[in-house]
Amino acid sequence: MRSVFILILILVAIAVLGPLLAPYDPTQINIPNRLSAPNSTWLLGTDALGRDILSRLLYGARWSLGLAFVISVIGLVIGATVGLIAALGGKVADWLAMRATDTFLAFPDIIAAVVIAGVLGAGTGSLIFALTVTGWMRYARVARGIGLSLTSRGYVVQARLAGLSPLVIAWRHYLPSLLPSLAVVWTGMFARAILGISALGFLGFGVQPPIPEWGTMLLDARIHMRSTPLQMIWPGLAVVACVLAINLVGDALRDALARQDRTE
Amino acid sequence: MIRTLAGLTLRAVVVLTGTALATFALLWHAPGDPALAIALARYDAVVPAAVVEQIRAQASFDDGFWSAFQTWLGPLLVGDFGQSSVTGRDVWPELMASLSYTVPLALAGLAIALALSVPLALLATLRPGGLLDRAAVALASIGVAIPAYWLGLLLVLLFAVHLGWLPAMGARTPAHVILPALTLGLGVAASLTRILRSGILEARAQPFLPAFRRRGVGARAIERDHVAPHAAIPVVTVLGLELAFLLEGVVMVEVIFARPGLGVFLVDAIEARDFPKVQAVVVLAAVLFVVVNLAIDLFYRRLDPRIGERDA
Amino acid sequence: MLSVENVTVRRGRAQVLNDVSLTLAPGKTLAVVGESGAGKSTLIAAILDLVRVAAGQITWAGAPVRRCSPALVMQEPRRAFNPHLSLRRSVMEPLEAQGHVIDTSHLTTLCAGLEIALDLLDRRPTEVSIGQAQRVGILRALIAAPPLVLFDEPLSALDAVTQKHTARLIADLQREAGFAALIVTHDLGYAAAYADDIAVLRAGQVQERTPAARFVTAPQTDYGRTLRDAAFALGALERVA
Repeated sequence: MRSVFILILILVAIAVLGPLLAPYDPTQINIPNRLSAPNSTWLLGTDALGRDILSRLLYGARWSLGLAFVISVIGLVIGATVGLIAALGGKVADWLAMRATDTFLAFPDIIAAVVIAGVLGAGTGSLIFALTVTGWMRYARVARGIGLSLTSRGYVVQARLAGLSPLVIAWRHYLPSLLPSLAVVWTGMFARAILGISALGFLGFGVQPPIPEWGTMLLDARIHMRSTPLQMIWPGLAVVACVLAINLVGDALRDALARQDRTE
Repeated sequence: MIRTLAGLTLRAVVVLTGTALATFALLWHAPGDPALAIALARYDAVVPAAVVEQIRAQASFDDGFWSAFQTWLGPLLVGDFGQSSVTGRDVWPELMASLSYTVPLALAGLAIALALSVPLALLATLRPGGLLDRAAVALASIGVAIPAYWLGLLLVLLFAVHLGWLPAMGARTPAHVILPALTLGLGVAASLTRILRSGILEARAQPFLPAFRRRGVGARAIERDHVAPHAAIPVVTVLGLELAFLLEGVVMVEVIFARPGLGVFLVDAIEARDFPKVQAVVVLAAVLFVVVNLAIDLFYRRLDPRIGERDA
Repeated sequence: MLSVENVTVRRGRAQVLNDVSLTLAPGKTLAVVGESGAGKSTLIAAILDLVRVAAGQITWAGAPVRRCSPALVMQEPRRAFNPHLSLRRSVMEPLEAQGHVIDTSHLTTLCAGLEIALDLLDRRPTEVSIGQAQRVGILRALIAAPPLVLFDEPLSALDAVTQKHTARLIADLQREAGFAALIVTHDLGYAAAYADDIAVLRAGQVQERTPAARFVTAPQTDYGRTLRDAAFALGALERVA
């Protein structure tokens, strides 16, 4: 458990401090030294334009992790709102909110994101929109499920009898009980967003050059797979390390939650 | 039962309508003049304004969103996917041609996933917490975290570039399916192993099983009658998600291996702004997805009788 | 006056309440007794508009009951409080919603009457005893001075000594505050000792309504007699005659 959180701390530190740690400007083109193997000057080598791969990875962390954080948090807010409307708003609101959720779930989300980002035109804005629109439904399902189970709780009945507005009831009596489970969903969606950002980048629909982003770096590296295979290893390794760390945090959270439920 | 079926069908229809509406809204709001885009794609040169206007009128673009939506939806309802806005050829045959590459790949991937995950989950749960179990969990966790496109590139690097055993790009021979299927199968296997493992462990922890054992019910009968059906429930639940995973994987994997299936069809269509083709993929995937989920829902109700009760 | 007229509540195809009519005058106490599943808790839910009423109507002084801001004391005192909040926050909710200013002297008087130390309110529901939690539950019910308070098995989660004590406190507070009380209970001894009238509910129907003192000596129906005799046999009700 503790080691998992240390892992997360390292990731956050890299995302925040990455640019400070980077030895070079990630966009500095250096054609004479292109496709250099790792050596003492360029610890991880250089890419096809001679840019330092380590610097690009470190700057890329800000894009991959930062954007994934933003996307997964917006998704949480939208999803929790829809789920709470479904749980608190009566039968009609519930039916509508859940059919809306089903509609967006009725599609493999990364493909939907590819279509949305592709049709709207490549760019960071489309990327965020595409991954947010396809990334709120699981929050909504979980929020609704727990919300419905809370409706018959004594303190919720009391709050309704007291005449508190649904907004206050949702904020004060539902949200605190939802947060632990939403946090578990959030870790999954955070990991999904990292994978989604790099997948879109790899397909060319994501963050645009010269911004260093791990998926686009992979796309660039792919062409030179035969001559400099190592170039392709680094960005992939970065994605895997982040996703793995976040999934481990999610598993640890889920276990902690299950233990707490048992003792209650 | 009939009421449930009707309710679920109504739900599926609502969801499909919603998907169609969302898709059309997206294309409607796509940047640029759609009529001009079509004209340019079709004639590939300077286009007279009259031609653009003619295209615009044909697609009811000027009559507003709802009218254009109806013009768009009508042919789709009778299974007419229209013509490519670039080549002018019918979309349907091209779609079917690409599916002939995608379906074998998806099936091969699924077969690999099942062949790996079922034995692995069974071995892991022999001694929960044991060395084998922990190794399986670690392997699956890493497997889930690896993006398909990276795994695919690594496999190409090893088996095609380094060892030279297998062909990598294209789809000329049956051997060309091996690496893409392996990429796809490993990813699905990882998540399936996790679900199967926890399903089996949960099924074995059911509170009434010790009483059965004391009464002398055999271990094999318990596994068959009480563990297997219970472990199947979470697996069936996530089958829909697995299908999504499979489709997603297919798209990425086909792009990596330059296999002319649905994924390449979609990505090429998006890049060419060939919207009829994009729509065709979206509609096909949504129908497939909704129908499969409907089937899963019905099957699920048979496995777990409590679900029907809750709805009543 | 609380007036329940020909109320029917259905759950699926079953009728949980079947043509129930009852009245309760201001300041009076009505005990509703009956076996588990007789529909007692559903009656409370119907009065508070928490379930859909299929037929009939329920009013307080001619208006919908919720208009008079009725209060409810629940069976499980700890579950009646949000575990994430201090008891004080929960207690203040009725005032908060109705826009009343918190009258400290009123709170102090109520706390004194309920024998609640003021600093107890800073704790969470899990940090107090069940008896304490129930007294705080009564405090919340009375904080906004409602004309009608519903009690859903208010004593059944408490031990015998605390039951007696709490019953006494409720009666004293009622005398001072003058609210009408509808007490749902399966404890005939409690009903007989503290209620003005006893209504017997069986399978969703009112069997009889009798002044409490008369119910002990002469129930009007066979079923009422069965209930009374069972309470005698258990020693829950003392033979008066």
